Amino acid sequence: MVSLAEERTLPARRTMRVARWRPRRGPWGHLGVRARVTFLFGMGALVLSASVGAISYLTTQHFLVGDSENAAIQQASSNAAAISVALSLPNPDVLKILQTYEGSGSSAVLLRDGKTYSSVISLRASDIPVALRDLVGSGTAARENLVINGVTEVAVGIPLTRQHAYYFSLFDLSQLEHTLHILALAIVAAGVLTTVLGIVVGRSASARSLRPLTGVSRAAVAIAGGQLDTRLPAGTGDADLAAFASSFNRMVDQLQERIEREERFTSDVSHELRSPLTTIAASFDVLEAHKEELSVRARQALGLLGADLRRFQRMVGDLLEISRSDTGSADVSLEDVEAGELVRRAVAASAHTLPNSVAPPEVAIDPAVIDARLSVDKRRFERVMANLLENAALYGGGATLVAARPGPARADGRPTLLVSVEDHGPGVSTAERSRIFERFYRGSVSGRRGDGGGTGLGLALVAEHVRLNGGSVRAEETDGGGARFVIELPVTEGDGS
Amino acid sequence: MSSRILVVEDDERIRSSMRMALEDEGYDVDEAASGEDALDRFAAQAADVALIDLMLPGMDGFECCRALRRQSAVPIIIVTARTDTHDVVAGLEAGADDYVTKPFVAKELGARIRALLRRARPAEDEPTVLTFGDLELIPEQGVLRRQGSDVDIHCTRTEFRLLCELAANANKVLSREQLLDRVWGYDYFGDGRLVDVHIRRLRTKVEPDPALPRHILTVRGMGYKLVP
Repeated sequence: MVSLAEERTLPARRTMRVARWRPRRGPWGHLGVRARVTFLFGMGALVLSASVGAISYLTTQHFLVGDSENAAIQQASSNAAAISVALSLPNPDVLKILQTYEGSGSSAVLLRDGKTYSSVISLRASDIPVALRDLVGSGTAARENLVINGVTEVAVGIPLTRQHAYYFSLFDLSQLEHTLHILALAIVAAGVLTTVLGIVVGRSASARSLRPLTGVSRAAVAIAGGQLDTRLPAGTGDADLAAFASSFNRMVDQLQERIEREERFTSDVSHELRSPLTTIAASFDVLEAHKEELSVRARQALGLLGADLRRFQRMVGDLLEISRSDTGSADVSLEDVEAGELVRRAVAASAHTLPNSVAPPEVAIDPAVIDARLSVDKRRFERVMANLLENAALYGGGATLVAARPGPARADGRPTLLVSVEDHGPGVSTAERSRIFERFYRGSVSGRRGDGGGTGLGLALVAEHVRLNGGSVRAEETDGGGARFVIELPVTEGDGS
Repeated sequence: MSSRILVVEDDERIRSSMRMALEDEGYDVDEAASGEDALDRFAAQAADVALIDLMLPGMDGFECCRALRRQSAVPIIIVTARTDTHDVVAGLEAGADDYVTKPFVAKELGARIRALLRRARPAEDEPTVLTFGDLELIPEQGVLRRQGSDVDIHCTRTEFRLLCELAANANKVLSREQLLDRVWGYDYFGDGRLVDVHIRRLRTKVEPDPALPRHILTVRGMGYKLVP
C-alpha cells in the first residue's frame, strides 16, 4: 500500500528502462569505422610492399654481388697467371706488366721483394687490409670487400709463389652499387605507390560497404522525427544486407505498433469519456440553473462539482488534443495574420475563460512588430495564450504583462517575434524550466493549485501548439523573480515593419 | 412562441440531459433516437433547429443531415465527439450550418442556437434587391433566383445570409473573421472551415462552373469577395 504522499511523488510518465548496447572498443576505438578500414588497408599494403621489396632487393643484391665477385676472382686468377709468366722473364718491367693487365674497372698492387708496385698512383699497399695481406702472405688466395675513398671495391689477393710476389687486384663495384641504389629507389617508390593505392582502395571499399549504413542512419533520423512508417528497402540483392534490413524493419514495425496502440488507447479513452461527460455536463447545467431551489449545503456541493467538472472537461479535451498531435492527425491551418492583432485578440479571448478574480494583463506591443506578418494557426495560438494566462493565474497570481517585441533573426536570416507572458509569482526554478513542459509534470508549486486547478497538460500543449506553429517556447525569470514564458515565432518574409 | 429544437441522439442519458438543459434555456425540445426517427418526427412537425449527433446507429448523422437538407432549409448543428478535420468538414458538406464538440456547455450550445435563429430571420436594414451576374437576391423574402425566372434556387439560411453579406459588399474583400462575425456571430477565433465549406456549397449553386468561379472569388491570404 502506497501512501498518498508517496504516490504523488511517483513519476507520472511511464519510465522506460534503457539498455544501451556499447560496442567494445579496440586500441583505435576512437577512430571511425571508415578511418580504421582505411588505416588497415594502408598498413596491409605497406607491409606487403615492404616485404616484397626487401626480398627482391636482397635476392638481387645477393646474386649481383656474387656474380661480380666471381667475375673478379676469375679475372684476378687469369691476370695472376699471366703476370706470373711475364715476371718469370728476365728483367721484367713490373709496373708496365701490371698496367698491361689491368683494365678500366680494376687496379692492382704487386708486392715483390719488399717493393710495392701499383698500377695506379693513388693506390698504395696500405690500402690493402692487413688481414688480407697476412692471409695471402701465408700462401692462400683470398678475397675481401672494402671501401677505398668512398668507392666500394672487391680486393682479390693471390700469392705468386714462384715469383715470391703477392698480387692484389681491386675491382671497382661502384657500378653495381649504383644499380642496387636505383633498384632500391624503384622498390621504395613502388612501395609508396602500393600503400597509397591501398589507402585509396580502403577508403572507397569502406565507403561502399558503409553506404547501407547511411541509409539506416537516415531512416533512424526519420523515425525519431516521428515518421514511423519509414522502412529500409528490403530487396537490396545482398543477402547480408537484406537480413539486416528485414530485422531493422521488423523492429520498427513492432515499435510503430506499440506506439500506435498506446496512442489509440489514449484517444479511445478520451472519446469514451466524452459521452458520459456530456450527460454530466448537461445535467450539471440544469442543476446550476435551478440552484436557488437547493439547500445551502447542496449548493456548496454543486459549486465543488462544477469546478472539477470544468477541469475534467478541459482535461479530456487536452488529452484528445495531445493524442491527436501524437498520432500526427493534428491539422494545422496556417493563416496570414498581423502580430499586434493576433496577440491582442488572443489575450482578449482568453480573458473570458479566466476566473473573475484575476485582473487582465497589460498588453504591450512594440511598434516595430505591430504590422509584422506571421503565418500561424490562430486557434492554436489562442490556446497557447489561454493556457499561459491560466498557468499564470494558477501559480503566479495572474499574468501582469503580455509583451510582443522583435526577436533575434534565425540562422537562415528569418526575423522572429517574441511574445512573452509575465507574472509576479514565485517563478520557475532553473531545474524545472525544461521539465515544466512535460505532461502531468507537477513542480514544487503543485500544492498551490488554485480554483479548479490545472489539467497538468496545459504547458505540454503550449509546447506542442508552438512547435506546430514553427516556433519554440521557454521559461525565464523576470527581474522581480517572477516567471516569464517566451514564445518565439518566425515572421513571414517581407513583414510590414 | 418558443423555438422548437429537434435533438437527434442515440444515447438516452445524453438526450434527456440535453432536453432538460435546452428547456431551461427556453426551447421546446423534440427527441429522436435515430436518423429514421428524426425524419419521421420532422415530417410530422417541423423544427426550427436540428441538433444531430454524427455517430448514430443505422442511418448515420451525415446521411440524416443530407436527408433533412433535401426537404428543408432548417438550420442544422452537428454534434461530434471528434474535431478531426474529416468529420467536421464532412458534416458541413452534408449541409450542416455549424458544429459543437462533445462535451459542450449548455450556455454555449444555447448561444449557437440563438445565433442560428437570429440568422434565420432576415435583418431589417437590408436593401430590397441585390443582383449579380444573372442572379437576384431578395433578402427580405429570403429569395434567390435567376432574373426573369420564378424558380427559387434552394439554399440554406446560412448560405443565404453569407451570400447577402458578400453581395451587399460587392467588390470588397471580406475576411473569414468578418464573415464568421457577421454570419455566424463568432469572434476572431471561430473555425474558418465553416466559411470555406459554405463558400464551396454556395459556388455549386450560383456559379456556372464551380471549379472556375466568376462571382465568388477567393482572395489568397485575405478572404473572399463577390464580383457582380
